[in-house]
Parts: sequence; structure tokens; C-alpha cells
Amino acid sequence: MVEDKAGVVLENGVQGGAQDGHLESFTYDDKIVRMFALATLGWGIVAFLVGLIVALLLVLPQLSLCLPYFTFGRLRPLHTNAAIFAFAGNAVFAAVYYSTQRLCKARMWSDTLSHLHFWGWQLIIVSAAITLPLGITQSKEYAELEWPIDILIALVWVGFFGVNFFMTLIKRRERHMYVALWFYIATIVTVALLHVFNNLVVPAGLFKSYPIYAGVQDAFMQWWYGHNAVAFFLTTPFLGLMYYFLPKAAERPVFSYKLSIVHFWSIVFIYIWAGPHHLHYTATPAWAQSLGMVFSLMLWMPSWGGMINGLLTLRGAWHRVATDPVLKFFVVGITFYGMSTFEGPMLSIKSVNALSHYTDWTIAHVHSGALGWNGFMTFGMLYWLLPRIFQTKLYSVKLATWHFWVATIGMLLYIVPIYVAGLTQGLMWRAFNPDGSGLLYGQFIETVRVLNPMWWARAIGGTLYLGGALIMAYNYYMTWRSRPAKYDEPVFRAAPLAPTFVDPPVPQPRIDGVLEIGKKLDVWEQFHWHRVWERLPVRFTVWVVIAVVVASAFEMIPTFMIRTNIPQTGAFAPYTPLELYGRDVYISEGCYNCHSQMIRPMFAETERYGDYSKPHEFVHDRPFQWGSRRIGPDLAREGSKQSNLWHIQHFWKPEEGSPMPAYQYLFFDKADYKSIPARVKAVSALGSKYDPDVMADPAEHARAQARWIVEDLLAQNGPDRTFYNPDDANNPKEKDDPKKSVMLEDSKVIALIAYMQRLGLDVSPYPPVDTGETGDERAQSNEDLPLN
Amino acid sequence: MSSQKDLLSDHAYDGIQEYDNPLPGWWKWLFVLTCIFSVVYWVYFHSGVDGRGIHAEYDRHVAQVMLERFGDIGVLEATEEQLLAAMYDPEFDKYLKVGESTFKTNCVQCHGVAGEGGVGPNMTDDHYKTIKELTDIVRVIENGAANGAMPPWKTRFSHPNVTILTAAYVAKMRGTNVAGGKSPEGTVIPPWPKYVPQPKDN
Repeated sequence: MVEDKAGVVLENGVQGGAQDGHLESFTYDDKIVRMFALATLGWGIVAFLVGLIVALLLVLPQLSLCLPYFTFGRLRPLHTNAAIFAFAGNAVFAAVYYSTQRLCKARMWSDTLSHLHFWGWQLIIVSAAITLPLGITQSKEYAELEWPIDILIALVWVGFFGVNFFMTLIKRRERHMYVALWFYIATIVTVALLHVFNNLVVPAGLFKSYPIYAGVQDAFMQWWYGHNAVAFFLTTPFLGLMYYFLPKAAERPVFSYKLSIVHFWSIVFIYIWAGPHHLHYTATPAWAQSLGMVFSLMLWMPSWGGMINGLLTLRGAWHRVATDPVLKFFVVGITFYGMSTFEGPMLSIKSVNALSHYTDWTIAHVHSGALGWNGFMTFGMLYWLLPRIFQTKLYSVKLATWHFWVATIGMLLYIVPIYVAGLTQGLMWRAFNPDGSGLLYGQFIETVRVLNPMWWARAIGGTLYLGGALIMAYNYYMTWRSRPAKYDEPVFRAAPLAPTFVDPPVPQPRIDGVLEIGKKLDVWEQFHWHRVWERLPVRFTVWVVIAVVVASAFEMIPTFMIRTNIPQTGAFAPYTPLELYGRDVYISEGCYNCHSQMIRPMFAETERYGDYSKPHEFVHDRPFQWGSRRIGPDLAREGSKQSNLWHIQHFWKPEEGSPMPAYQYLFFDKADYKSIPARVKAVSALGSKYDPDVMADPAEHARAQARWIVEDLLAQNGPDRTFYNPDDANNPKEKDDPKKSVMLEDSKVIALIAYMQRLGLDVSPYPPVDTGETGDERAQSNEDLPLN
Repeated sequence: MSSQKDLLSDHAYDGIQEYDNPLPGWWKWLFVLTCIFSVVYWVYFHSGVDGRGIHAEYDRHVAQVMLERFGDIGVLEATEEQLLAAMYDPEFDKYLKVGESTFKTNCVQCHGVAGEGGVGPNMTDDHYKTIKELTDIVRVIENGAANGAMPPWKTRFSHPNVTILTAAYVAKMRGTNVAGGKSPEGTVIPPWPKYVPQPKDN
């Protein structure tokens, strides 16, 4: 380990060199770094643990104990949010608070804002941990949190973190901003933009909202956000982290200042465009998908610029990688960054994406990024920070090395089987009989059952990764225990920035005998102009905003243009009040985590699910539910594909070997009919047109449709109007125990079935068109069925 | 690579220094190459030439598969003779496989893998709910039955032959009486007519 303690280098503060010799004294706030570091570790363990639980739920769905709070659909968003915003988020804040102060030679502008930021952020995480298992969700991936929490996020991010950071930049004592700070700037402004514009909603109560975008537009906005959350929450701040902590730990200069400039600006500009590669072969316009693909390809080298600058900075320090766990973590972390930023562009190629999309390949890809890059960079940083923030020696270098190996093996054990699972399932979906007569695996479940061994191996890998974090927790605790009774708070001295500054002269062209433009280009290429920007934080930030906004505008303009391109025929009716409510149940249960609603124009897909999806089919979808993974089959054309009876039996008890939990609680959960008018009002304000009859009493309309479904179930000899748990031997039907029975028409499951039966249809099957068939013709014996 | 040739810039931040190394050549040129590729790709696919998009490719693919599957038989008619031929003429075996695949992809959820029944009726006995004669099976597959409990499949298949071949496959299940099947529903109907091979044209 590096032994030197933070802040012993007093002369560091003096070399700012003020002309008038006036020096200011200041200290660094390391308490806030200690707080964020502890939060990183604690939430990291939570995120890994919830990850392990959701991995196990896929192989043992009964682990949810039939409780709503522990289903895969509700917990998977908790895992992703905890990993991204709690673990990686707190790691980023620890890095920013430690390095910004030192790079600016200034304490954070306001200790109060630092603390408000810390506690505000932890409050957001706790709110997420409470609301997501309760099924309170917007259902947009990594933007699941409902609108009151979104407002809190905006306040904490911009009002506390942003203001504090930018005021520290303004009040800095170091003339030029180092590259780490550029990446922090890009992070703060872009995440604020993404968050605000993806979360514009109309509330329908404290815990429910509808986005102002629908269908295709909503998908566009969501993946503009989702992709750039990866870019500006998991990439740029971690590059900033790398640029500070790697040369510190390696004690080597950064490989290339020019490369920093070029790859920084190309990343900031190009990343924004690439979002539509998440929507290949969907109902989004083809040219937008092509934009997403080519910008992803162009992103390959800008991303690798960061990897090169990281790995080549280690030249002359490679011998230390063998002994220093900090450098070990950094080397593997940066290598995984390189691998996943090669894989990303590759997956964005349409024909590759056709195979990989909706499979575990995507899951493997994001985990090589999250476990490898974000996780390992965080662990490396923490091991470097621990002796410095606790002003002692790291308790055990050996344990840190153990952590490294356990986590590395765990990560490989996670990723490799999941790659195999992704490829296996992708190939099975498209496999045809040798004679070409039809799908080889016509039953979707066949393509799921085979993944079981891979899913088990993944769970073991995840356990090891979690184990590594627990080793770190012990090391952390033991290091903390040997801290001094009182932390030393060294006082630094540096001159404030003089009001005027003379830049070095503009360099001369290094080439002769060429056109004037060539000479100008040569001067430009020496980046003197950029050196000027580096001492002007406001101008620098403005340019970052321009780069991001211009690129976004090219994404937004089509978003609004396609509104006019989508045929909005009168025949395409909005969801009935009950279907809308059922849809909200679907969202709340997180069904989109396993079921897509987007049939791609590929024969293997249309053969399995029906005609491919068209843009106008989604005009009433707020939010869109296209999904990103098919653990279960696509549901875009599920409407009228199975009978109501099939659905209710399936929700009660899914087929053998299915990872879908039994949704028995939806039978006993009562539908909140009182909330339906507010929901209908919200979507009708957003443009879904309802009949005045329906608008007059949406709740009663919903009840009538529910009764209609219950009657149909009765006609098919399904369950009674009063539903009893058929598996409960102690609850004979004669005994009327209201706790164990429910009027089926009051139940949530009926609303969910109403929604299922509407999927893919232009108009609701309710009210029914008279077919002349009598109920007697339908009523036949079904007494072998479980739900009678 | 030796770091001694590297030129150190005069930058220093909290002790961090930076080399003034140029961009690696391979990096720069790969970047340029991806940009050039992107322009070429864009122009090729989005300069307004028909037939280059993913939907056109899909249409071509489906047309080709349909030609391979049904090119020799054209569009079948939903007649009793045709259904019987599909069921019993050995030359139709390969087409009947389309019916089998379709059944296994779409029907087994309610009717069981061997037609033993589930939510939907047993297809292996002699009892039928809405079927009176062979061609009724085509009608039920197309339009549904039992007020939507059996869904209409008319618009869901890639080719009109699929319905007929699936009907033939289902009709052939009759009399297999799979063990453990669902108890009979509806009434017993007369057996399917006997298949009389038509004299071949050539």
C-alpha cells in the first residue's frame, strides 16, 4: 500500500504561486468523504444481496413465499436502482468530494450543502427501498421511482450537489481544471437534463403518475435516458475517478493530455445519440435505429481513449500491480471497461442485436460493466482511500488481495454462464425444424427450462462477488478501528486566483510550406484554445451543455415529428377504465421485467407471436411497456389468445418449471375502484379520448366490465363469484369466512385479465358484440379443472 | 514502450502530472474509419432507395419461406376432400408437419401437447362441442368458439394454408384417446368420411 498520509505535503499548497505572496489557509472536508465511503460499502452489500435474491428467484420462484414484496418483478428494479444509484452513486460522490477539493485547492463551498446532499441522497435510497417492493413504480428502467421522489432527486442533485460543486469550482485556487473535473461537470449537467426530461409526468395521486409521452415517444425518451444513465452516471464520473485515483495510486503521470481532450469531447457529444440502439427492430422509425447504431460504432474509440489513457498510465508501474491490490482492482476494472465498450458497439449492430436482444446476453453485458468497471474501480478507490481518510494503515493488504481474487472469480462465474444462457436462448427462439415446417421450440417454456443450470452458476458467482464485498467490510471495519482518537486536519495554504491571468502565447504552426488553413489546423491541434477553456469553468460548462443539448435535439425533434407520422385512427380506442387499471396493476407488479410487448419483424418472431408491432398500436401506452428482457413470452398480441379461464388459472398456478411466481395475492387484493376516475381523468387529459358515457362514471364502467368477465368465467365453469382458496382444505365453501374469500369482481386479478385480453386489439372486447350464441352452448363440463 | 521519450507537460494538479503524448495512430485512424463507415452505412440505407430497410428484408424472407413451404401446392381450399387428403395422403405428410408445428406453438396451452385437453376440450375422443363435420374445425380455428373462450386465429397465421393444415392435424388426433385426457365434452359425432384418393392428373 502507499504509505503517505493525506495532506502531509504542505508545500503543495504554496506552489500555486501568487504574485503578491498573499496566501489563504484552508482545510479539506474529509468527513463527508468518510460518510460517502461508508454509504458506498453499505449500499453495495445491499445491492449485491438483492441481486443474489433476484437471481435465486429465477431458479426458486417459491422463495417469494407468495408475498407481493418479494417477487422478481418488484425486486429486480430495487436491485438495479441500488446498484446504480446507491452503490455506484455514493462511490461517485466519495470520489468527487475527495478529489475536487484537492484539484481545486479548496474546501467544498458549503459544508451544509455537502451534508444536505449526503442525507438527501440516503433518503432517496431509503424511499426507493420502501416504495419499489410496495409496487410503487413508473416502470421505466432505472427511472422507476415515482414523481415525489423524482422531485427530491432533482433538488438534491442540482440544488445541493450541483450548486456545491460548481461554487467550489468558482472559488478554486488552482487555475486550470484537471480532466477529472471535466468529467464531473459533464456528469452533473447531463444527469440533471436526462432526469428531468424523462420524468415529465401527470400525477394521478401521490404514488401514481402517467408520463406526458406515450408509446413510441415514451420509448424514445426512456432509452435516451436509460442509455445515457449508463453514459453519464456509470461512465463519465468513473472516468473522472480513474483520472484522479489511478495516477495517484500508480504515482505515474497520465499518458496523454491530448487524448484526454479528444476522448472527453467525443464521448460527451457522441454518447447522447446512441440511445435508439436499445430499440432495434421495434416500432420506432428505422432511421432512428440506424442513428443509434452508427453513433454507437463511432463511440468505440472515444471509449477506448479512456481505457488507453488508463492502462498506459501504468507504464513503469506494472511491477507494482503484482503487490498492490489497489492497482489490481484498477487494471481489471479498466480492462472490463474496454471489453464492455467494445461489446456495446458490437451489440448495437442490428444483426447482432437481433440475436442478443431480450436475452441474457444483455444481462451479461451490463454486469461486465457494472461488476467489472464500476465495482472494481470503486473497490480500488476505497482501498486507496481507507488509510487516507482514516489516517492509519490499511488493516490487511492480504485480505484486500483476497477480495480481489474472490470478486474476480465470482464475476467470471457470473458472466460466462449468462453469456451462454443468452446465446442458447437467442438461438432457440429462432430455431426452425430441419424441414422448415415451423419453430423447433414452439413452446416458450422450453427455451427457459434449459437455462436453469446457467442461472444456478450465476447465483454462485453472485454469492462470491457478495462474499468479496463482505471481506472488504471486515477490512474496512478493522481499519476504521485503528483510526486516531482525533483526526488530524492539516491546514493548507495557497494563493487565491489573481483576477487577471495571461495565457501562454498562441503556439506557432509547426509546419511550413502549406496552405494557411493547414497551419491554422496545426495550431488548433496543439489545443492551446482548450487550455484557455480549462481555466474558465462557466464557459467550459456551457460548451458541455451545448454538446449534449445539440445531440439531444437531434433525438427530440424526431420524437415530436413522429407524433404526426403515426396514424391515429378513430378505431384505435383507448383502454377501458378497467383495462387501464389492470395495466397499472401490470406495471405495479413489474411484469415488464420478464415480458416484452414488442414483436420484431423477424419470421421466427411473427411465427411465434403474430404480426410484428406497429407504431400506432401504442398511442395510449403511458408508459410504454416494451420491456428489455423475455424471461417469459412476448405479450404484445396476448389479447384474446387465451380464454379468461386460462388466464385466471395461470395467475393462480403457472405451469410447471416456469420461473413465474404464482400471483395468488392478486386474487385477494381488492382493486381500488375509487382511484379509477383519477386515472382515467389523467390519461384523458393527456389525449386518450373517452366516450362521455364512460367519463360520467369510469368506476361503474369498470365494475360492469369486471362483472362481465366474472360471468364469462362462470359460463366456462370457472371459479364462483365468491372466490375461495381452492388449495385451502380448512376453508370449505360452505363456511363464509370473509378473510379467506373475495368477491371475484372486486379482485385485482380480474382487472389484470381485462388488460391481458386487450393487448394487441384495436378496440376493447367490452362491451361485447352480440354473436347470437347462447350461454348454454358455452357452459360445458370443466370439472377436472383446478379452480372450480 | 519507454516512458523516457515522453514529453512531460507543465501541468500538475495535486501532484498529478500529464504527458504530452500524441494520440496513438491506430486509435485515431480507427476512429476515422468508424466515422466513414457510419456515413456510408447511412447513405446506403437511408437515401430513399426502396427495399433496403428491415421491413423490406422481412417481407422478402417471409415470401421466400412461404414459397419453400407451399410453392408446390398453392393455396388450399377448406373443403372436406382437401382436409381428408391432408390427413391421409402420404404426399401431404410434409405439409401436415406445418399443422403439427402450429399446434405445438399455439394450441397446447389449452388443449395439451397430445390434444388431451386442459382449459380447452380433449381432441382425442369422439366427443365434440361445436364440430359437426370436418370443415367445422377450420371454421372454429378461424373464428373461435364458445364466445371467445376459443380465440379466433384467422388473422394470426402467416398463410391461409396454416389453418387448414392445423385443422387436418387436429382432426387426425381423433380416436387416439390419450390416457389421462380430459373427460368428454359435447356429443359424439359421426366418424370422419373415408378418404378416397383422387386419380392423379399425370
